[in-house]
Amino acid sequence: MPESEATNDKKYNKQEPIIQLIVFRLGEEEYGIRIEQVKEVTITPEVARMPKTPPFVKGIANLRGDIIAIIDLEERFNLRASSEPLSGVSYTLAIEAKDYTIGIVVREVPQPLSIPISIIEKAPEFIQDININDKYIEGIAKVEGRIIVVLDMLKLLTPSEIMQLQPKSESSPAIVRTKD
Amino acid sequence: MKSREQEYREIFMAEALEYYDAMSRHISELEKTPTDEPALNELFRLMHNLKSNARAMGYTQIGELAHHMETIFGLIRSKEKSFTGSVVPVLFGGIDTIGNMIRAIGDGQETDSVADVDELLANLDRLVRGEEPVLIDAGAAAEDDANRKLELSDLVYIQIKKLDHLLNLVGELIIDRDRILTLSQEIGNSALQATAAHLFRISDELQYSVMDARLVNVGSLFNKFPRVVRDVATAERKEVELTLVGEDIQIDRNILQIITDSLLHLVRNAIGHGLEQPQERVNLGKPAIGQLTMSAQTERDDVLIHVIDDGRGIDIANVRRKAVERGLISKEAATTLDDDAVRAFLFEPGFSMAQEVTEISGRGVGLDVVKLAIDSLGGQLRVDSTLGKGTTFTLVLPTSIAVKGALLFELDERSYAIPLMHTDSVVSLWPEQLHIVGGTLLADIQEESVPVVSLRRLLHNGDGPLKPVHRAEVTGRQDIIIVNYNNRKLGLIVDRFLRQQAIVIKSMSKPLDTIDLFGGVTLLGSGQVCLVLDVPALTRLFLAKRP
Repeated sequence: MPESEATNDKKYNKQEPIIQLIVFRLGEEEYGIRIEQVKEVTITPEVARMPKTPPFVKGIANLRGDIIAIIDLEERFNLRASSEPLSGVSYTLAIEAKDYTIGIVVREVPQPLSIPISIIEKAPEFIQDININDKYIEGIAKVEGRIIVVLDMLKLLTPSEIMQLQPKSESSPAIVRTKD
Repeated sequence: MKSREQEYREIFMAEALEYYDAMSRHISELEKTPTDEPALNELFRLMHNLKSNARAMGYTQIGELAHHMETIFGLIRSKEKSFTGSVVPVLFGGIDTIGNMIRAIGDGQETDSVADVDELLANLDRLVRGEEPVLIDAGAAAEDDANRKLELSDLVYIQIKKLDHLLNLVGELIIDRDRILTLSQEIGNSALQATAAHLFRISDELQYSVMDARLVNVGSLFNKFPRVVRDVATAERKEVELTLVGEDIQIDRNILQIITDSLLHLVRNAIGHGLEQPQERVNLGKPAIGQLTMSAQTERDDVLIHVIDDGRGIDIANVRRKAVERGLISKEAATTLDDDAVRAFLFEPGFSMAQEVTEISGRGVGLDVVKLAIDSLGGQLRVDSTLGKGTTFTLVLPTSIAVKGALLFELDERSYAIPLMHTDSVVSLWPEQLHIVGGTLLADIQEESVPVVSLRRLLHNGDGPLKPVHRAEVTGRQDIIIVNYNNRKLGLIVDRFLRQQAIVIKSMSKPLDTIDLFGGVTLLGSGQVCLVLDVPALTRLFLAKRP
């Protein structure tokens, strides 16, 4: 019942739709993803590096029999140099993109958080400073002094976005013809 | 294995029972609202379909009854009759009788065994003529109702997606089973070993059953071709007689799906390029009508599909000349190639032998696409041809896609696999056994010079060409896997050979599926993810990047 849930947060209007976020830390900032886009949170399984992928694609891993790509958003957003290794234990958020699942590594245990949808403000210009293309950003939520960047994972995780390098052309037959 | 007849009969049964259930439902609706048009249309349609199916299967009595019923429903639909009075019990009786006949077929009996059919047909005829039917007394009908049984169809339709999932799960089970078997031998507990052995047998049987559930007749694809051949032949103004052989050979449904376009392509090619115009054939002393045969046969665990035409055949000299023109090979080298090697050029990208581009063939989408599709299945494509006599394309396909033999090796402390289908041999060579020609390593393998490349370099090289190899860089023993694709051999230097193993290949999920260097992944007994290299793509990458 939406009513009973809302009583937990009395300071917000009762009619207000509440959304649940999974909040995690990347670099020094807090980021959130709508809970319905998160399939599960797990300790990062063993990741096999995959040649011919951009450096922020950490590789592939076996998640309950599904083979999924694991990406590192800190590297994607240039919040950490790719040479700097991840600390011991990390966690993986399995995100349900349009027609596949993808894993995002984070260093701390992600936490759920309920907020009314109205406190998400549209992303301001200054976001450009941290090298994030703002089209993935649904908005900024300010909760008790914390600032949470709410990401729209479906936009962030399009295949062309992840596979920036289009490695297919390297071994495509079209090139072979000009050689030999 | 079930005969084709039996299988068709089961499918007919399942459909007919479904029709019968739907008819019973719709006629009940019609009784409540005699003017219910959708129900009436549905009844008409169902009767019509049942009639056609029954006649096609040779169940003339059902066909006859369905035909009579269809006529009445047609009259009701066109408002010449109404669904009232004595029409109602006759039609209800008719549908019940249809049900009884279908059940009789299911029990292996003749449809004659069903009572009162002639009487029913006579009544239906009377209705059509506008006469009153002769109704049997209500008591017997009531008794029938008391004996009525409800039954469900023996066949279930299932989405192929669900079967795919089942197969994936079985694949994983097999991997874990192998692991448990190994562990039980290491631990040496006899009770554990016995259980592991039992698990082994059961999961083997389970795998076999799941694979079996996915098998369909090759005929389900072949039977679409008479129409295709007719259309293509008409467009090309050729006369073609198509012969289908081995339609009841069974193969995995997804394999059949993947080769659909390939077969279409080969058939179009055969009619477009292979077979001559009728007049030309007569001049050559051949019958005017060209022969095209599609056949399927099993050979050990493989299914062979042939597309055979008796047309003009492939002119080897012509292919050789084209290959030189296209710069695929030097003129000198071309003259020494044997015929098989020359025919392999037909599978090169964009290599078309068409003199003129027609609607049907010769649009540059060539045999390379067919080759890629077959490669993706771990199959083989072969071509054999005699000039003036005809051409045979042979597709060697696995019956099932589940399990493939692979060679496992190690590179940078990770395991990789290469399908055995594309593996020629493995050799360990010392630096002095390798030559450097034009910056490329060459090895003498059975009196053949095979280029050799470090797999590490090939995989982790950037976008530019590979750097030329220097003698000083080659130190120590080199473990080399010789792979073979389309008669091209290539040696890959790896860190260590591991073992040969049957693996279950999972296709690469999005978005990584754009990297064609990997045919997929497999899970090892340890749970480790192992990339499966795609030899065709690797060979192309080497050709594009070599120094």
